[in-house]
Amino acid sequence: MSAEPDHQSTSSVNEVNIDGNLLKEIARKGLVDALNAVNGGKTLVLDATLAGPLGLVTEVSLLKHHGVDKMFWLEAGALSSIAANIVYLCRPHIKYVKIIADQIKGHIRESRKHTYTLLLVPRVSTLVTQILEEEGVLGDITISAFNLQFIPLAEDVISLEYESAFKDIWVDGDETVIYDSAQALTTFQKLYGLFPRIVGKGDHALRLTTLLTRETPKTTNPSSDTLLSNSDKFDSLIVLDRRVDMITPLLTQLTYEGLIDELIGIKNSHVELPMSLLSPPAPAAVATSAPGPSTSPPTSTVPLKKDSTKKYHLTTATDPLFSELRDLNFSSVGKQLNRVAHRLDENYKTNLQSKTVAQLRDFVGKLGGLQTEHQSLRTHTGLSELLVPLTRTEHFNKSLEIQQNLLASYEVTGQIAAIEELIAQGADMEIVLRLLCLASITAGGIKGKTLENLKREILQTYGYNLLPLLLSLGSPPLAILLANPLPASTTPSLKYPFTTLRKSLRLLIDDNPEALDEVENDISFVYSGYAPISIRLVQCIAQKGGVLSNPAEREKVGTESTAANQKGAGSSLGGRVQAHPIVGWKGFDDVIATIPGETFDIIQQGAGEGQVLITSMLQPKEKSTITVVFFLGGCTYTEIAALRWVGRQNKGRKFLVLTTGIVNGTSIIDSIAGLGKSTSSKTVGI
Amino acid sequence: LSLDEASRILDPESKLTAVKAAHKFFSEDKDRSFETKMMDESVRLLTFQQQLEKDADGKVPFFGLSVNETLRTCLLNGLSKRADKLKSDFKVPDKRFWHIKLHALTTLGDFEALEAF
Repeated sequence: MSAEPDHQSTSSVNEVNIDGNLLKEIARKGLVDALNAVNGGKTLVLDATLAGPLGLVTEVSLLKHHGVDKMFWLEAGALSSIAANIVYLCRPHIKYVKIIADQIKGHIRESRKHTYTLLLVPRVSTLVTQILEEEGVLGDITISAFNLQFIPLAEDVISLEYESAFKDIWVDGDETVIYDSAQALTTFQKLYGLFPRIVGKGDHALRLTTLLTRETPKTTNPSSDTLLSNSDKFDSLIVLDRRVDMITPLLTQLTYEGLIDELIGIKNSHVELPMSLLSPPAPAAVATSAPGPSTSPPTSTVPLKKDSTKKYHLTTATDPLFSELRDLNFSSVGKQLNRVAHRLDENYKTNLQSKTVAQLRDFVGKLGGLQTEHQSLRTHTGLSELLVPLTRTEHFNKSLEIQQNLLASYEVTGQIAAIEELIAQGADMEIVLRLLCLASITAGGIKGKTLENLKREILQTYGYNLLPLLLSLGSPPLAILLANPLPASTTPSLKYPFTTLRKSLRLLIDDNPEALDEVENDISFVYSGYAPISIRLVQCIAQKGGVLSNPAEREKVGTESTAANQKGAGSSLGGRVQAHPIVGWKGFDDVIATIPGETFDIIQQGAGEGQVLITSMLQPKEKSTITVVFFLGGCTYTEIAALRWVGRQNKGRKFLVLTTGIVNGTSIIDSIAGLGKSTSSKTVGI
Repeated sequence: LSLDEASRILDPESKLTAVKAAHKFFSEDKDRSFETKMMDESVRLLTFQQQLEKDADGKVPFFGLSVNETLRTCLLNGLSKRADKLKSDFKVPDKRFWHIKLHALTTLGDFEALEAF
């Protein structure tokens, strides 16, 4: 990749870092307060899906410190506990509340006395009280909320870790997530001030923004004056809902981090790896390989797994090598690893040549650092070795080929036949469905007869219990698996204008040798030639030049005067010039309008400071600002990688990614299918 | 959808009823002819599987498997006639059937049958 913009990255990255820790602190304090509200020793009963997110903000010792002596999973069956207090911590799902009620009733039958507290994440819902009332245990339990909101995953990624967000919104029509997101964003604004401008795309994104802007005046009280003024750190908030770009998550991610997520699975930024990979023979290195206190989840006291695998926390805080690797296209990871290995080798060699005592002492001092680095090198080499055979499988390559062809709209019928072939070979259900949905979106639907045939094949191969899944994929809110011509009942607006977008947003980079350089210089590197629509949209707002042509090439053309910056829209910008201020969708109105979903652009003003701010916003700023991008319904690792890349292209603008969760195509399909979730989460979600 | 519940029920009889109920729901809606057909198939498969289990004296579980898995199990247990019947009943395309058969025979190590292919 091109040279790092050192001079400004240091300062603004630091800013973002502070953000993360502040949010973490809030979450931690919330938990501690909630726990302290219950006096004495207590048993904590935890919803398994929460353990991962919690592990990112607290550690076992902290919980112990606040009187937690035992921890259990929230599971059906009797609960045996000696402590007088039992604290339940869970998301407000009916399933969980029923279990809790059963357990309480069981205790009453055995005439044991406990005090119960139910902490709901992120807030109390009336539904829960209703169920408890029906079960007749409402009187025995104290209900309060533990407001777990944004959790920082990396220095520039913050997530709500809300796994089912996508399904909730687009399949079940449940908008709790939107409300919760608005709440979390309000908290965010309380900390840093109002976002001066909110730009977005998508019906649900608009709903979120309406909630957010309406919320603000209500919650404002005289003491929190941050809500009255605009933030000086952030120049805008960009809200995109997942529905706007369904293509991207359906594709196979090709960056290092994305590929790990696709093939092995990253959950709450932990990845499960074979034991042998993490604990090397050398005892000295074991200490460094063991996850630090903050990485071990709070529930490690409950041995649940046979220890063939181990959690590894993928974080750049303890693992500098990972930050070099995570956003690279997988094809260049090997090269990078090789380079680092060589550097390490050099370091060892020079150190061994040291003669004097001072030099030796120096060497010993460095040894620890070198070993850590060595260890992380070993881990990542092992990890990529693990990935390589998986990328060599027939199904993987076949599906990649189909994806690329579909994106180019090359012989669509041939691709569908290939998908059929995959079904016949018994490829994973998720792979097949991803490809099928992709085909449907890019080609604007699949021929009715063919589609029926394919559905039949799928049902026969993977079981008739998948019919609800197929139905929800095809029904209006989501509608990513459609017949062509469309049945009369569906509205024409559902059709996704992929072919026009591909042209206007320059989504596809040709795969010929001359273009290869270009691929390296565009966000499309994350998918080896395809640029994620979502990120192109962000570029439409924040880096207009990048959409139309290659910013890196423009660099040579020369630096335009800053006057061009002020006007912004569509003007040719040099690659690394000062980022132009956010001017909304200007210049791309027509394109954006063709994508289904509402488009909006709202300027938020703090009380009392009106005109001054707007003008100051349009001034090219010397200091760097941060643009917050919120993905409603989840984003993929590749999109994050692409955004980081865009951030590097501009001087003076960083991106901060907020999301409801990290997704990939498989996880989306799985969550809609609702298959194996309950069983797998127990083993995976630790 | 009652179908959602149907997939979770394990008891054979009640599962059949649930699927039948789903079938009825779908048949009431004109736009859902495809789903109706599928549910009909599903019912047929389940009954067929019950029959198979009876024939195998309950030693081999069939119930609730997908068509492919049923085919495979049939082949693995030397019920190739049954498999052929299943194939024609459910109009399984040749391509898919050969794939399944190939895999099943390889698992069995039945190389004579493989030769005869």
